[in-house]
Amino acid sequence: MFTVTMVFFYAPLVVLIVFSFNNSKTMHWEGLSLRWYHELFFNSRDLWNAFGNSVLIALTSASLSTVLGTLGAIGIYWYNFRFKKYVQIASFLPLILPEIIIGVSLLILFAAIGLKLGLLTIFIAHVTFNLPYVLLIVSSRLDEFDHSIIEAAYDLGAREIDALLRVIVPVSMPGIIAGFLVSITLSLEDFVITFFVAGPGASTLPLHIYSMIRFGVSPVINALSVVLIAGSIILAFSTQGIYKYIFQK
Amino acid sequence: MRKNYGPVYALPSALWISAFFVVPISIIFMYSFLEKGLYGGVVWKFSLEAYRALSNCAFLKVSLMTVVLSVLATLITLALALPAAYFIARSRYKNTLLFLVIIPFWTNFLIRIYAWIAILGNSGFLNNFLLRLGITHGYTQFLYNPFAVIIVLVYTYLPFALLPLYSTIEKFDFSLLEAARDLGATNSQAIFRVLLPNIKTGIFTAVLFTFIPAFGQYAVPQLVGGRNSFMLGTIIARELTVTRNWPLSSSISVALTVLTTAGVLVFLRINNNLGGKTKAEHAASTRLHLQIKQHDA
Amino acid sequence: MKGSQIKIEGVSKNFGDFQALKNVSIEIKKGEFFSLLGPSGCGKTTLLRIIAGFEDPSGGDVTLDGASVLPLPSNKRHVNTVFQSYALFPHLSVFENVAFPLRLKKLDNSTIARRVGEYLQLVKLDAHKEKLPDKLSGGQKQRVAIARALINEPSVLLLDEPLSALDAKLRQHMLLELDAIHDTIGITFIYVTHDQEEAISVSDRLAVMNGGEVLQVGTPSEIYETPEDLFVASFIGETNFFSGTVASVEGSSALIDAEQCGRIRAFMDKSVAPGDHITLAVRPEKIRITLERPDQCDKGLNCLSAAVDEIIYTGFLSKYFVALRGGHTLRVFKQHVNYFAEESKIAFGDKVHVWWDVGDGFIVEVKRL
Repeated sequence: MFTVTMVFFYAPLVVLIVFSFNNSKTMHWEGLSLRWYHELFFNSRDLWNAFGNSVLIALTSASLSTVLGTLGAIGIYWYNFRFKKYVQIASFLPLILPEIIIGVSLLILFAAIGLKLGLLTIFIAHVTFNLPYVLLIVSSRLDEFDHSIIEAAYDLGAREIDALLRVIVPVSMPGIIAGFLVSITLSLEDFVITFFVAGPGASTLPLHIYSMIRFGVSPVINALSVVLIAGSIILAFSTQGIYKYIFQK
Repeated sequence: MRKNYGPVYALPSALWISAFFVVPISIIFMYSFLEKGLYGGVVWKFSLEAYRALSNCAFLKVSLMTVVLSVLATLITLALALPAAYFIARSRYKNTLLFLVIIPFWTNFLIRIYAWIAILGNSGFLNNFLLRLGITHGYTQFLYNPFAVIIVLVYTYLPFALLPLYSTIEKFDFSLLEAARDLGATNSQAIFRVLLPNIKTGIFTAVLFTFIPAFGQYAVPQLVGGRNSFMLGTIIARELTVTRNWPLSSSISVALTVLTTAGVLVFLRINNNLGGKTKAEHAASTRLHLQIKQHDA
Repeated sequence: MKGSQIKIEGVSKNFGDFQALKNVSIEIKKGEFFSLLGPSGCGKTTLLRIIAGFEDPSGGDVTLDGASVLPLPSNKRHVNTVFQSYALFPHLSVFENVAFPLRLKKLDNSTIARRVGEYLQLVKLDAHKEKLPDKLSGGQKQRVAIARALINEPSVLLLDEPLSALDAKLRQHMLLELDAIHDTIGITFIYVTHDQEEAISVSDRLAVMNGGEVLQVGTPSEIYETPEDLFVASFIGETNFFSGTVASVEGSSALIDAEQCGRIRAFMDKSVAPGDHITLAVRPEKIRITLERPDQCDKGLNCLSAAVDEIIYTGFLSKYFVALRGGHTLRVFKQHVNYFAEESKIAFGDKVHVWWDVGDGFIVEVKRL
């Protein structure tokens, strides 16, 4: 039974990979060829533009949402204040609502305030859906350490900013980094929300893939998939050290 | 005592979420009560037309389709994920197998959908394969129907169901199954009477992570569903961009939001009730049941 | 003496309906090693946290050399704390942990290195200065916490049950080290503990607390020898209690009708009148135990006959549990002088005489009905 599942899991990918080397544009096997890889690397300027946008948006939105989320998590975890319940609920909802709702609502917002759709709106959208994840991840890290070290810092003369920068942030760093990485991953992957808030000329990799799919089957997509899969595997292996660091203690 | 810096820390996030989540959702809520503008947009006149439209036949059909597809996808996903999770939990190569499960996860979501299009399409892999073998003589329409949607939904959510199931099964005390078999239970009896009751929380989490997202899906039905398998997600988008009926799109969004939130709360409540017994107590009570059975035997 | 004088004046603290501290007033002298002793929940830690600045009192004031510290936040007070969990910064080495307060003040590296070196030597940890806290033993972490709290040269050091996480032998050792550090540095120490042995062995003075109130303040010997209160008498060391009614008063002694044993005499350290219901405390080591009846029984001694129920031998003393005629048990401790010749002669079941000097009993509770 397990093998059935595994076959189900991998079969599509195997087909994808195999046909990326197909000499024909159709799904008829016509011999080995690297032409689609050639097409991918040398003839797809729009695709690489989109890829560049994806990376840019991922890095910038992950950075902002990590900063906002870390501060927010610290505030919620250690203090009580009047709008705390509101923040907790408001930042929990995006995690459970369907992406289409978030995408459509942002589109309507931008239309209502007259903000033109483009990279900026994509950036805003990405920060918005990343923020709850960072809040969640950093909060759980805050839960894990001995809080008396914060009192000790005050006791020894630290002002709030000292305690934050010299104690809280260094000790929560694994959580902060985890939040940042999750944000980057989600941002690179996102399709639905980005689809609704992107304007003409601002494309990300998923959006570009979507438009390619819409055009019909093209083995360039296969080639791209293979590159992406290979890239993720290489990335995963080379960052094992980071994972160890995040999950220590 | 030190100053309450809480508001200072939390304010940036609070402002952002308010501006870019709470406000937009509120706008949608408002729009659902307004009149449709002639060329799209809204007219600022109060109207319940958008909600009345929810009771018409077409909409109800779509809702039904959404429910049916989500339920079927969830059931099939569970049926595949459970044995897989069980197998992995019992295997010596747990970590490798888990890793193997997660790798496909890293490919872009759209690429995974595309893979199925390439397979199921009219000139896709499956059709070519069947034609070659002479099993069929023309192409078979595998794509652009509810079945394709279900297949791709299952494919998408399988890892989400597998991981929580694995996590719960991993903590299960397998000697209880041996005890059951020792007392005369067959394999399936052991599984249904001993294993499943003890991994209820895992099953519920897996259902939560599959059903709710599937219910609100947009991309999958949009890409592989064709004209016969509209789900709530796709018609929200359609009303917004095609028929430009913003109030209607809004009212469906409100409905979807309410249903999703309610669904999550219900699941959380059920999960809390299940969590009344700790794992140890579950194991202990199962042993007790088995011992009682032994006395009866 | 370099420390500060601390006055706790009428401090009270409420957490909702719960009164953690009720009008507590204590005066702690410059350079004292002062302990707050009491069971869990008595308010001692709350009081410490108020002095440190982590809690605000609901009422009352705390002054350092006459000036109130309440308006100052914890990071501005000249008071430093050694936490029960040590609270070492897990991401900093021993050196950096101790250097932390100095880095906040932006002192230059050579000054920091010199002063950190001094304090690490004081606590005998300079060999470990590059280690991270998770590689240290409990005792070592303790010492880092102490060095870190002292390097700011506060005028008061607060210690919140610092030894409770250590094992018994280590605890004894660290206690002596703390005492030595106190003698070297000379500032005021306020030490919170629930262990009365710790408190009476190193403190200059101590306060016994229970239920948010201070029951008695004094030197260890005052508290031990002359407890003013039932709780203090029972909390410190071991005690025998007699309860009864005052039958008559003659000069400075009272004749008591005790429930446990009949008529005994008590020295009136508190004034009582006939008819008052009192509790008398007598320490076990003040009671003698012999096989023969002593001569001075009616002249300033209380004599009772009893049967030996149980003997616990602890090497240098024996603890006798004797049953009085009414069934009540008395604890008698006798330090061994010549065990085989003397103390071993009293055996289980023997009929013995137990007796103590009238002046060794203390009235710890008086109820006027």
